[in-house]
Amino acid sequence: MPEPTQPPPPAKPGSAPAAAPAIELPAAGPDEVALLVDERPVVVKKGTSVLQAAERLGIAVPHYCYHPGLTVAGNCRMCFVEIEKMPKLQIGCATQAMQGMVVRTANPRVKAARESIMEFLLINHPLDCPICDQAGECRLQQYANAYGRGESRFVEEKIHHDKGVPIGPRVVFDGERCIKCTRCIRFCDEVSKTHELGLFERGGHAIIGTFPGKSLDNDYSGNTVDICPVGALTWKPFRFQARVWFLRNVPSVCTGCARGCNVELAVYDHRIHRITPRRNAAVNDYWMCDLGRQTYEKLYDRPRLERPAVRAAGAAAPAVLPSPEAVDRAAALLRETVTRHGAASVAAIVSARLTLEDLFMARQALRQAGITRVVVPPHESGEDDALLLRRDKTPNARGAELVGFGRPDAAATAKLAGDIAAGHVHGLVVVGEDPVGDGVLKADRLATIEALVVIDAWQTETAKAAHVALPATGPYEADGVVVNFQGHAQRLRRGVPAPALAEPSWRWLRELGRRFGLAGSWTTASAVFDQAAAELKPLASLSWRSLGGDGHRLVSTEAGPVSGAPAGTQALEP
Amino acid sequence: MAYEKLLLKNVGRDDSHTLDVSLAGGGYQALKKALSGMTPEAVLEEVKASGLRGRGGAGFPTGMKWSFLPKLGDKPRYLCVNADESEPGTFKDRLLIERDPHLVLEGIILSSFAIHCHTAFFYIRGEFQKGARIFEQAIAEAYAKGFLGKNILGSGYDLDVLVYRGAGAYICGEETALLESLEGKRGLPRIKPPFPAIVGLYGCPTIINNVETLANVPFIVERGAGWYNGIGRPKNTGPKLFCISGHVKKPGVYEAPLGIPFKELLNEHAGGMLHPDRPLKAAVPGGSSMKVLPAARCDVLLDFDSLAAAGTMLGSAGGMVMDSSTCMVGALLNLAEFYEHESCGQCTPCREGTGWFTKILHRLEAGHGRKEDPDLLIDVAKRVEGNTICPFGEAIAWPVQSYVAEFKSEFDDHVTKGACPFGGAAKRG
Repeated sequence: MPEPTQPPPPAKPGSAPAAAPAIELPAAGPDEVALLVDERPVVVKKGTSVLQAAERLGIAVPHYCYHPGLTVAGNCRMCFVEIEKMPKLQIGCATQAMQGMVVRTANPRVKAARESIMEFLLINHPLDCPICDQAGECRLQQYANAYGRGESRFVEEKIHHDKGVPIGPRVVFDGERCIKCTRCIRFCDEVSKTHELGLFERGGHAIIGTFPGKSLDNDYSGNTVDICPVGALTWKPFRFQARVWFLRNVPSVCTGCARGCNVELAVYDHRIHRITPRRNAAVNDYWMCDLGRQTYEKLYDRPRLERPAVRAAGAAAPAVLPSPEAVDRAAALLRETVTRHGAASVAAIVSARLTLEDLFMARQALRQAGITRVVVPPHESGEDDALLLRRDKTPNARGAELVGFGRPDAAATAKLAGDIAAGHVHGLVVVGEDPVGDGVLKADRLATIEALVVIDAWQTETAKAAHVALPATGPYEADGVVVNFQGHAQRLRRGVPAPALAEPSWRWLRELGRRFGLAGSWTTASAVFDQAAAELKPLASLSWRSLGGDGHRLVSTEAGPVSGAPAGTQALEP
Repeated sequence: MAYEKLLLKNVGRDDSHTLDVSLAGGGYQALKKALSGMTPEAVLEEVKASGLRGRGGAGFPTGMKWSFLPKLGDKPRYLCVNADESEPGTFKDRLLIERDPHLVLEGIILSSFAIHCHTAFFYIRGEFQKGARIFEQAIAEAYAKGFLGKNILGSGYDLDVLVYRGAGAYICGEETALLESLEGKRGLPRIKPPFPAIVGLYGCPTIINNVETLANVPFIVERGAGWYNGIGRPKNTGPKLFCISGHVKKPGVYEAPLGIPFKELLNEHAGGMLHPDRPLKAAVPGGSSMKVLPAARCDVLLDFDSLAAAGTMLGSAGGMVMDSSTCMVGALLNLAEFYEHESCGQCTPCREGTGWFTKILHRLEAGHGRKEDPDLLIDVAKRVEGNTICPFGEAIAWPVQSYVAEFKSEFDDHVTKGACPFGGAAKRG
């Protein structure tokens, strides 16, 4: 084999450039370089790759193995560009932009090289697009269409590999579709740092696999599926569920823990079929955990509360009532309880899983009803890890704090449970929590409660025991804002409609509040948020609109002054 | 004029691998000279002035390679000896390792001294079990004699040499794959730049030299660059080991100055063609990964520049001779199978292209070729060439292009006759 060529000797100082570029280069700062890409000048930081410099100009250089969140492998050879004074084509991902470089990304020579790479990648590819889950979002398809030759010159038997391999509990591997870009290997080495994957065998028989005794079973395995540019790695729950071109990807925020990874909800036929990460450098970068990907399942895998249910004293089964009447009944029960036992005998349990709007409206309504004892139960499991996962499994604990309910508090929750068990509590409003199902309260200890009003998305044990149960939207069924553990306020967007008569909790709370004289006619989450922003100091000067797609980092999430107090000083990071 | 053997001066002696025999034959005189009176820079300059070019394949000037090292800093510098000789038809380094390890070792010590390296790695092909054993013995003898270790020959210079056995992959002869393998990883070539001289073994400045290259250094140091320049031809200086195999009477390794005529190597050293009634058909003077020359173009001088001018390369000087009984489709298929097997699988053109060549050639050889197949072979080879991470792509693309282009009619015959005219498919079984 010929030895590789050595670097050329440095150019003699003072030697004249071959030909002055026709286009004048802009001035570059000390840590910048200016170059031309397809005749267009661009200034980038030193160390930027040619591929990234082209992207800065909106010039897409096709690539498979390059991923901005991983180290450069340079193996797919798709991102070839021509650079003046370099005899060979260079890969854009691994070539640093240099001062005065003249780069061409789409001339006939580059196009011919791309066509060659496409041909090589496809000769042993099974071309099973009709039944491949990646079809529609597959780079092989996109680039074959854009850069391929459109016909095959390969008449030989293709190389065969194992298909449908359960490479991990949630990921399935197809060895024949794989193009050996090694993104998945690099992810497990560099991001999850779990090192399950390697490249085995050689040449055309090279194949991705797990090391002996290992399985692709880490908390982040789903990211390998996302970054797989072809259909080699597929997400088990999504396999054969939907053609991706029917999916509508709704930008939203994961509700699985206090991180609040930015996600896309893949919706088809009013149902979420998949959740994938959406890049947010301030929160989750390109990634999300496997648990978060499955947070939509509980919308479908347990009985939903679909209609207001009112249980009359002594009745075996609850009766379904129209919504306004159900709220009337809830208000009446609470009012009677207050009258009988005093406002101090009525408490509320609200959830840090609710949106800021829900929590804000809970504050307004409960205050209006004279209910001052409010607890927020914690939901913790596991530990904070080095990447994304948080021990706190609620998406909006900081939101609860911001509204004035304080952070989730196990002691306060236990104290309330004790008071209920001791018969000191006679009225209870529960929003988005299931203290009975969670074991915080025993159903038989609810005997002394004369008004149990539950707002929830599911037929929980608590809802079953309720005098009035009001159907709420579940995660991803309503718009709202959540504040993650970093104090990053982000907009959760509704991806799917809620079943039957379910409404966002804040609407039930608004209605309940009205029964106690709450003024205000908010009809949208954005109106509620803007009201909250006007009243809560950490949100001062924020608006629903200003949160945009990437959210906003708050300086503090400590509870603001009560309504009427001055909004205070600017509390936002630029 | 009788040529004075240098590289092979000891190999014919009994126990030539031992230190005693080496010393009796003048071994380690250059080391004594360098360590007693020369600076590292002076050794480097001498090697630069000698015009020594790398014997591993590319023929890059050794002294210039050394001078690419960055200024001495906090990081150690390493010398890696490429003893992963794996090119089909090349077996010269093996002879030196097994029969004159002390010459190689002296070259390693001198070269390490020249580049301020205190740890050298001897990366030897996994299959060379005997060579590895012998070389480790030689290292042990050198330590015992004070040629290695701390304060070599009282000069204050320290050097350790470690033998590392590869696991039998051709690709690990590619210098950056060698580094990966040496670091305990899968032997995959690295993207360059950065070049090993800047970022090499364990991220440190590293020089990788071929065994035969280093075996030249003692002579250069001992007798001077001026003397060395007198051997061979301008810009192609020094003694060279030529391997020759195939249809010749005496296949083997022969030493001659760079630039001897191919026909002299064939007829005078290798005893001529194996069968008097089968004339020369083609030869690959440089090794399996180089372009083939048909007999009519075989009147060439064997040096870097002459062979480049003839449209091929000296490579590792693993000459292969084919007589008139050779089926060029079969010969190329044989090579293609080797390269398919040895492709590391990292980058697309090589991983996919090597297998494609083999499949087309199999069909041709079996008589199932299509008339477009010879052109397709050349076209695919052009798409591999220049597009891969390492030179492995060229190592198969060049033979494919040249075999098909030079012997196009033979490839066409396989198609039109629907069979191998040499009965190749039957022979291959």
